Amino acid sequence: MKMKSSKHITHKDLMKVFWRSFTMEWAWNYERQMNLGYAFSLVPVLKKIYSNSKEKLAEAYKRHLAFYNVTPWLSTFPLGISIAMEEQNADDPNFDPESINDVKVALMGPLSGLGDSFFWGTLRVIATGVGTSLAIQGNILGPILFFLIFNVPALLTRYYGLFVGYNIGSSFIEKVQKTGLMDKLSYGASVLGLSVVGAMVATLVTIKMPYKIGTGTDAVTISKIFDGIVPGILTVLFTLFIFWLDKKGWKAAWILLLIAGIGIFGAWTGILGGI
Amino acid sequence: MITPVTAILLALTAMLANGEYFLGSSMLSRPLITCTIAGLIMGDVRTGIIMGASLELAFVGSFSIGASIPPEIISGSILGTAFAIGAGKSTAVALTLGIPIASLVLVIKNLCFIFILPYFVHKADRYAEKADGSGIGRMNVLGGFFSVNLPIGLVVGISYVLGSPVIKTVLAAIPKFVISGLGIATGLLPAYGFALLLKMMINKHNAVFFVFGFALAAYLKISVTGVAIFGACLALILTGYSAYKDNHNQGTGNGPKDNNGGVNKAQTGGINYEDEEF
Repeated sequence: MKMKSSKHITHKDLMKVFWRSFTMEWAWNYERQMNLGYAFSLVPVLKKIYSNSKEKLAEAYKRHLAFYNVTPWLSTFPLGISIAMEEQNADDPNFDPESINDVKVALMGPLSGLGDSFFWGTLRVIATGVGTSLAIQGNILGPILFFLIFNVPALLTRYYGLFVGYNIGSSFIEKVQKTGLMDKLSYGASVLGLSVVGAMVATLVTIKMPYKIGTGTDAVTISKIFDGIVPGILTVLFTLFIFWLDKKGWKAAWILLLIAGIGIFGAWTGILGGI
Repeated sequence: MITPVTAILLALTAMLANGEYFLGSSMLSRPLITCTIAGLIMGDVRTGIIMGASLELAFVGSFSIGASIPPEIISGSILGTAFAIGAGKSTAVALTLGIPIASLVLVIKNLCFIFILPYFVHKADRYAEKADGSGIGRMNVLGGFFSVNLPIGLVVGISYVLGSPVIKTVLAAIPKFVISGLGIATGLLPAYGFALLLKMMINKHNAVFFVFGFALAAYLKISVTGVAIFGACLALILTGYSAYKDNHNQGTGNGPKDNNGGVNKAQTGGINYEDEEF
């Protein structure tokens, strides 16, 4: 790409992303969680940014169909940053597109930590408290207030998150670009992103092997034995196994069937235990 | 009294409740809302609201954090309320009637999550290859509708017609290991998502950071947010953040000073990403 390709993203474009972000959890799936909602939210903007390159547009769509998860009401913040980075990517041939996903992934953990404790831990508790105390007397204001107390702040966060994310993203990346630190940014982003993925593999993939070896007080579960070697080694081995199957060219449907089969076979034989 | 209209209305209520995920995760699925609507349909809003409050408190611990989805509270609270009001019984009855249905719906939901929704997810990948944005949009909208929303509506409507005892018989007929096996599979599925994510991000030179994050979480039991903080520090250290700052702020005294960004770029030029595409 030699010409300046991206047309300027307007307020109207961002509003489309805002509305589309409402569907963030609609097609939530175990495999890649909010990926469809995230990509769906970005479609109109990406179409505009890459209006002159079908290949780059396809690449961008693929990028945003990767695994993503965040507290839904905060989802517009990483969306805003992604938009700013995609814009830069279209303008600058030296931009490293991998850094877009790295930054996204890096934000996932901290944003969710913050968001879950604020929205689930605080706001919902207040809304439920007010709502139930009225509803328990049969007062219709109970459900109404519950709905409003939660959703007004949630909507405001969703709205402003998008613009704050986009502005921070644009000004930061412009600065990085001017000072010629793009290599550093993408390297730093991959350090951070991969650390977060490593932590997520350790905490979000669940494998329990409750089958006991030995008798009486000496009995230990198979999980314990593996955890004695390296804690969580089963989850990382399983993830790498799937990684390997995918690299071998296994079709998605077969991998999913295999996983379902492993689960049911594991439960039938008692080798694998529930969560 | 069981009428087809009531069954359809209850099914639509369930679909609206699940529709919260289409409407900004707006809490429509909580018992406070669903029981109120179910009460309205059954002709006793007041009882519906009161049951909603009790069920809300009973389910207060159930919410999704991070990667987990909430247990199936939609069908349980709607049908529990409908049965209890229909039979003129109390909230406790609503709860006991609701729970078997909630378990059945959870099984069905897991089946859909494992066997139906992935079809849409992977079809979206194919649309992405063709740069077809509206195709991706269709997969998002239809995927959520056919694999979660419609099944919940159908189960609620049919369960209402059949009644709670039949549901219990159906549940008893499904082998236990199938139910728990599907649960186990949902715990394994994120591994596939992470494998795909790793494919995009990892190469020989940065694989060590994956191990770093994993080890922090596995050995020190640090949360994902905590690991992100460690990762951010490591990233700033490795990229010489202080040198970057010195462009504007001379004399902070820490770190080597590179006043010229171009020099920095040359120094880090050894890290070459472009040729590491998978």
